[in-house]
Amino acid sequence: MRAIWTLWKKEMRIYFVSPLAYVFLSAFLFLAGLFFYLGVTLTGEASLRVLLGNLAITQLFVLPMLTMRHFAEERRLGTLELLMTAPVSLGAIVLGKWLASLTLCLLMFLGTLVFPAVLAYYGDPDWGVVFTSYLGLVGVAAAFCAAGLFASSLTDDQVAAGLVGIVLLLPFWLVGRAEALLPEEWADTVRPLSVLVHLDSFNRGVLDSADIFYFVAFTAVFLFLTFRSLESRRWR
Amino acid sequence: MIEAIALTKSYGPRLALNNVSFTIERGEIVGFLGPNGAGKTTTMRILTGFLPATGGDARVAGFDVFESPMEVKRRVGYLPESPPLYPELSVGDYLGFIAELRGFTGRARHQRTGSVMERVGLSGWERRILGSLSKGYRQRVGLAQALLHDPPVLILDEPTSGLDPAQLVGIRDLVKSLAGTHTVILSTHILSEVEALCPRALVITKGQLVAQGSLDELRAMAPRGDWYLVEVDGLDGPRLGALPQVDLVEPLGADGAWRTFRLNARVDPRPAVAELAREAGARVRTLEHRLPTLEEAFVSIVGRE
Repeated sequence: MRAIWTLWKKEMRIYFVSPLAYVFLSAFLFLAGLFFYLGVTLTGEASLRVLLGNLAITQLFVLPMLTMRHFAEERRLGTLELLMTAPVSLGAIVLGKWLASLTLCLLMFLGTLVFPAVLAYYGDPDWGVVFTSYLGLVGVAAAFCAAGLFASSLTDDQVAAGLVGIVLLLPFWLVGRAEALLPEEWADTVRPLSVLVHLDSFNRGVLDSADIFYFVAFTAVFLFLTFRSLESRRWR
Repeated sequence: MIEAIALTKSYGPRLALNNVSFTIERGEIVGFLGPNGAGKTTTMRILTGFLPATGGDARVAGFDVFESPMEVKRRVGYLPESPPLYPELSVGDYLGFIAELRGFTGRARHQRTGSVMERVGLSGWERRILGSLSKGYRQRVGLAQALLHDPPVLILDEPTSGLDPAQLVGIRDLVKSLAGTHTVILSTHILSEVEALCPRALVITKGQLVAQGSLDELRAMAPRGDWYLVEVDGLDGPRLGALPQVDLVEPLGADGAWRTFRLNARVDPRPAVAELAREAGARVRTLEHRLPTLEEAFVSIVGRE
């Protein structure tokens, strides 16, 4: 437990002593502001639907870039060897990194809370929907950070890791529109894999255990794959 | 303290280590010698628990590396070939992180980082960013990282590479000061380093342990006889080699008409060479007996390529 905390602190420090965190936070908040403005002016309703829907898809591209350096860079610098010869478990290393990237996501979301505040000043948003929508956003962040870390564990080239991450996540987005590509019976089978389908109920204010399970399982599977990928690389 | 029993490691079809066995006693400083790519780093990575071996066993500080890697990792300080640093962090932050990783918190953490920085000559460098340090200072931080928890076993992969002569002496003195209380295995391909630091050495080449012993024992493994240096004008290699006393002739180069040879012989060939030169009307500039250096012993043990 303490090792995870130590590793988390190190990751956060690296995020904030380099331009990385500031670039991500400002880019993300800029996009969020844009989506909010467009969403409210185009639809004329006091809702965050457009903003949050777009932020979810933004994460598909932003999070692999946020996580791509984690293992790729550690391997290139030789610091992975340092961590793996220190008395900490591989699981702690993976969790520390995942929690750190998730923390940065939470900070990004924290910045977007100004938008519901604006809505509350001028209108009367449905707070239940706002709450579940944000929960969905956190679910997406947790899942995509895990997938991004997995991509990063596969290679020691950051850019390759970022691209692999995006390519890995795209299908989970696209199957939401599977009926356009696949015969109907297939589309019905793959649609439950879609991030969109599960995110949709969060955005409508519905908390369904199946949707929560989806994001938890998504995260767990990719964290496990990251663990295995790092472990198996030692054998080669 | 360190025991390797029939260690074997293959990367796919390539055999990196083949049946390597050795023992290192408590308090010993042992040099690990070999040309690049011989398997030094692989062996060290196995001993630190970073890499699993394909076959064989390794015990470090009384624990099996494969069965209780955590216990081994707690007792080993490891400096990889290139110091594992985060370029964004400062020296103080980095060593603080290592200290916490090693289980030191609060005051203990402070005290540990302070004392290890003093030990490797980094006092006053806390706030320097690792990415801006020169090679020598990076190496010191790497060493500080390995020494921080005062481990009974130190595994140092080329600890003095990239250091200037003054730093070299400093680091060597530091390693020497560990003798007796710490068990140290250090790899290098610089032989003077072994001569300066290690009473005993292991020689590895192409994944196999080809020799081990004290430096005198290794020197004794040099070719059959002694080496003699000859500089002549008017004699060639074959004629020198035809002398019954000479076992081996190696041309070393030429300086105008003067040609230099290295002879290996069990019986002192100098009178015979002088006699031959006189008969052939050749001139002799140098004719001397050379004690075998560790370099020569090393080269003859690992073979010429």
